[in-house]
Amino acid sequence: MRLLVVEDDSLISRSLTQALTSLGNTVETFSTYRTAKEAIHQGAFDLLLLDLGLPDGDGLGLLEEMRERGDSTPVLILTARDNLDDRVRGLDLGADDYLAKPFQLAELEARVRALLRRSQQRTENLLRLGPLMFDPATGAASLDGCALSLPHRERLLVESLLVHAGNIVPRETLESRLFGFGEVGSNALEVYVSRVRKRLKGSGLRIRTFRGLGYRLEEEQG
Amino acid sequence: MIVVTGSLKRRMAAWLLVTVIGLGALLMIEAWVSSRQAADRAFDAQLEAAALSISEAVQWQDGRPEVVIPVSALQILATSSQERVFYAVLDSQERRLSSNWEVTIPQALRDSVRKAPLETALHTAYGELRVYGREVSAPGWVSQEPVQVWVGHTLGGRQTLALTLFKQAVSRFLAMVLLAGVLMALTIRVALMPLRRLRHQLRLREADDMRPLDAEVPKEMHELVQTLDQLFTRQREGREVLLRFTADASHQLKTPLAGLQTISELALRSSDPGQWRAALEEVHGSAERTSRLAGQLLSLARLRHLDDAPQRQRVELCGLMRDVALEWAGRDEANRHDLGLDTLPTQPLWVEAEAWALRELIGNVIDNALRYTPAGSSITLGLRREENEGCLTIRDDGPGVPEEQLERLCRPFERLGRQGTEGSGLGMAIVDSIARRLGGHLKVANLSPSGLVVELRLRLAEEEAS
Repeated sequence: MRLLVVEDDSLISRSLTQALTSLGNTVETFSTYRTAKEAIHQGAFDLLLLDLGLPDGDGLGLLEEMRERGDSTPVLILTARDNLDDRVRGLDLGADDYLAKPFQLAELEARVRALLRRSQQRTENLLRLGPLMFDPATGAASLDGCALSLPHRERLLVESLLVHAGNIVPRETLESRLFGFGEVGSNALEVYVSRVRKRLKGSGLRIRTFRGLGYRLEEEQG
Repeated sequence: MIVVTGSLKRRMAAWLLVTVIGLGALLMIEAWVSSRQAADRAFDAQLEAAALSISEAVQWQDGRPEVVIPVSALQILATSSQERVFYAVLDSQERRLSSNWEVTIPQALRDSVRKAPLETALHTAYGELRVYGREVSAPGWVSQEPVQVWVGHTLGGRQTLALTLFKQAVSRFLAMVLLAGVLMALTIRVALMPLRRLRHQLRLREADDMRPLDAEVPKEMHELVQTLDQLFTRQREGREVLLRFTADASHQLKTPLAGLQTISELALRSSDPGQWRAALEEVHGSAERTSRLAGQLLSLARLRHLDDAPQRQRVELCGLMRDVALEWAGRDEANRHDLGLDTLPTQPLWVEAEAWALRELIGNVIDNALRYTPAGSSITLGLRREENEGCLTIRDDGPGVPEEQLERLCRPFERLGRQGTEGSGLGMAIVDSIARRLGGHLKVANLSPSGLVVELRLRLAEEEAS
């Protein structure tokens, strides 16, 4: 994957390069608004990591200009300004994610992975997390390359969780997806979750419950 | 915000002007009336003298009155003004013995002159005249026919004299007003001198000079100076709080930085990669804590900034709680804890608040709970309605806080002896500042058998009219 880092602090841009290169990406860094703009015009990147406070301009301007041109490259904003207005404005202008400085490299890597996965899914039209794969067009799912035959509601559940893989999917969202807007028993959803859990056992994936909030499909750690 | 409404001097001058004009008008009327009266008195006396002088010239020859008008009498009447002089001497049959007068004197006047001399105005073909009449009887024992002497003149002389007198009065008055004006201006200048001195003193003051004013002022300005002194005192106190906060903050930042320095120094001396690694891990942890501290100091400073007046809007608590819980539960830091949400009320709960401040408050409490409870502890967010208040709770089943330290929990830089655990001791101070800013009630209590609950009560907004 080809990544573009626009960051004027050399220490941060060096560590970003190092961390992201070790994930198997090609990273190019630019430290000014002007040079970054030229680079964006020229090459196709898979992801843009954008610092807002550049010495010769506001990173948000760069984002705005990109989106106006119809360039839908995913953008992750990095900034020391953590007030909500900037955050909202950045997301309004079409940023895909937002990370306030200082951040942990592990968190940055996770976000980058998620964004890259999402942009890849956009091109492949396949949902994928680790060994689990789902084709929304046909409804076919496979685990470790073996086809999984899923009943209707389990299939809907797997699809919903995969779309937001790595993020918590609110239980209300899942319930309306699986059961429509009708009355639902309080543990109806839990029944389907435990069925899917059984299928995923030993695959390195798990569904974590968040009390009162929802579920998250994630890769087991360690 | 000071609104300037005209100048003090101008206001005083305006009042003075109004008073002087009012008073002046009255004085002018009075001067005119008295000038007229004085002129009348003077000329009436002349008329009387002329009449007397003519009366004395009346002689009786064989019981018949005869008169030769003396020149002196006419001279008395001949004033410098070009006025016409009239005289008439009439016998009892109203025949004119001597006269330059074509005017008939009304019967009523002639009748009343028989009793006493009389002065009056008379309208004639020559315009308005002032006339004087008296009756003269022959002296001696022989009874004779009485004779009436009438003299009169036009009003030109009187008017000229009255005008002259009036002009003098007016010029005296104007001179006085002018003099009073000059004196008034000088007085105002002198009276405002202390104000000017005070202004000068304030202007020369150093920006950070917060000592009380040392100024001699009149009684009326005492209150102003006192108020200024109080303002300086408040500013001084505010600055001291700020300086103390800055000093505390610097100290807090210095400590981890000193640690970083010694760890890295030691690692640089060593040549053992194992020690390097250990040192780097410590450096990493310490840098993380320091940057979090800096962030918290910034929030606290921002919260305490006066200018930053709260911009409240209607916020729905159920949605906000769910959002914050989702955001925190999804974070890496929360991976080792069980962060959950109680069942929320089915009805929406609206409050007037700043959404960012509420998020920050809840986030700080969650952050604290994640830091100060062991891995595996559960942290639960709850929300319920109690009459007209919304009650947000964040509870954990960790070790809690010793009862005697609960009230000190919200002071900045208190870590309640947990110096060993990571944390700045600012989190709860921020929470407390936000609660105050939002006008909510914050309560921190231990739970039985173990755990801590932080509760924020916020007044619910009025229901929407629709």
